[in-house]
Amino acid sequence: MMDMQHYIESGILEEYALGVLSADERAEVERVAQQEPAVARELVAITNALDSYAAAHAVVPSSAMRERVLQAWEDSLRETGPTVAPAAPVMAAQSPTPRMAVAPAEPVTATAVAADNNGGAVVRQMPAAASAGRTRWLVAASIALLLISGLGNYLLYNRLRQTESSLELAQAEQSRYAATQQAALNERDQQLAILRNQAFQSVELKGTPKAPEALARVYYNATTKAVYVDVRNLPELPEGKQYQLWALDNGQPVDAGMLDMATATGDSIQQMKNIASAQAFAVTVEDIGGKPAPTMSTLTVIGNI
Amino acid sequence: MLLVQRLRDRDEGAMTIFYDKYAAALYGVILRIVKKEETAEDVLQEAMVKIWHSFASYDAGKGRLFTWVMNVSRNLAIDKIRSKQYRVGSRTQPLEDSSAAMRLAADTTFRPEHIGLQEMTRQLNPDQRQIVDLLYFGGFTQSEVAEELNLPLGTVKTRARAAIKVLSKLVR
Repeated sequence: MMDMQHYIESGILEEYALGVLSADERAEVERVAQQEPAVARELVAITNALDSYAAAHAVVPSSAMRERVLQAWEDSLRETGPTVAPAAPVMAAQSPTPRMAVAPAEPVTATAVAADNNGGAVVRQMPAAASAGRTRWLVAASIALLLISGLGNYLLYNRLRQTESSLELAQAEQSRYAATQQAALNERDQQLAILRNQAFQSVELKGTPKAPEALARVYYNATTKAVYVDVRNLPELPEGKQYQLWALDNGQPVDAGMLDMATATGDSIQQMKNIASAQAFAVTVEDIGGKPAPTMSTLTVIGNI
Repeated sequence: MLLVQRLRDRDEGAMTIFYDKYAAALYGVILRIVKKEETAEDVLQEAMVKIWHSFASYDAGKGRLFTWVMNVSRNLAIDKIRSKQYRVGSRTQPLEDSSAAMRLAADTTFRPEHIGLQEMTRQLNPDQRQIVDLLYFGGFTQSEVAEELNLPLGTVKTRARAAIKVLSKLVR
């Protein structure tokens, strides 16, 4: 333990973090840190401290510089990347030799005969045949590289297309989502405006003995005759049925409209038919589309203004 | 970490993300070392190329990506000023120059928006700061600093340790 304290205080960890140690010394520090948790902890603390000190000096480069640096990096990729570039000049250097066009197909014996007829040409003929072999190889290699590069381009192009189409999808999805959210937000805003409006009276509709847990609320504006319904809790409907809101005016039921699915489940507030005059509101279960007169046996909630 | 994985996979698109994430920190430190914006841009470029090509030698087990790329950049920047100073000659000259320049730079290029830096340097006393800056931005070993400042090596080590302690307390 004492030994490690001494090691930590020797300053070698700072030098490690500062990057001034030789490779051997670095390896030694790493070995010790792996074995001694105290050393490892100290090393992490030192590194983090220096990293933060470095980060505190951050200077954001201009956007023009961003372009230049990224471009230079990309250019460097092309330079060091494919081996096609060095092959091309070799080809160019070889091609001016006129014999090259005919020589490649000729067998070696034919070359020798031609040399006999042509005396002094012997010496020059042989290297031409050799270079023809190399040329053929270079042509083959170039074609292969071209094909590989073509295939590469094709693959990259496909990937680009895929990326583009998934980007388009994502963008469409995103704008659709934004539109729905905006619509929902507008609706909520309107609902909020209604709830805050002093002209609206809130009418509590309580569950009948048939559905004691049921609860809904009607907002009624006697001046504009507007009616909104806000469901807190209504029992789930049987197949083919829908909730219908009624206004009771001097004991006479007046149809105030059908509750949408979203309204019935309490997901949103719904504007109903305008009602000229009412003293109470009630909700019954009716066939989809509603009835001209309420089915009293299905009365679910009711409340007086 | 996703970025590390992408760089390891030679994903060229990752380099843009890398730049946006680290360039400001790297450029800031490089600029602090080489002083000239033009040179700093060159070094940043070199650093990007080097980081890309030698990414295989980054070992995530030995430290964070930030630490590694910062060290690559810092070493390139230090090599840069050393190579220039090499041509000029003298061994003592550059250190005096650079520490004078550093003092100057600290006063004139100070940007108030760098609260982090202000906060940090306020906590370090001038002796500590001088030593941290020489070690971190000058690329000197502790014995070189001791020699140049005419201080016992033990004092340099104590100050460096104290300074780094102050910094790491701020980080926590």
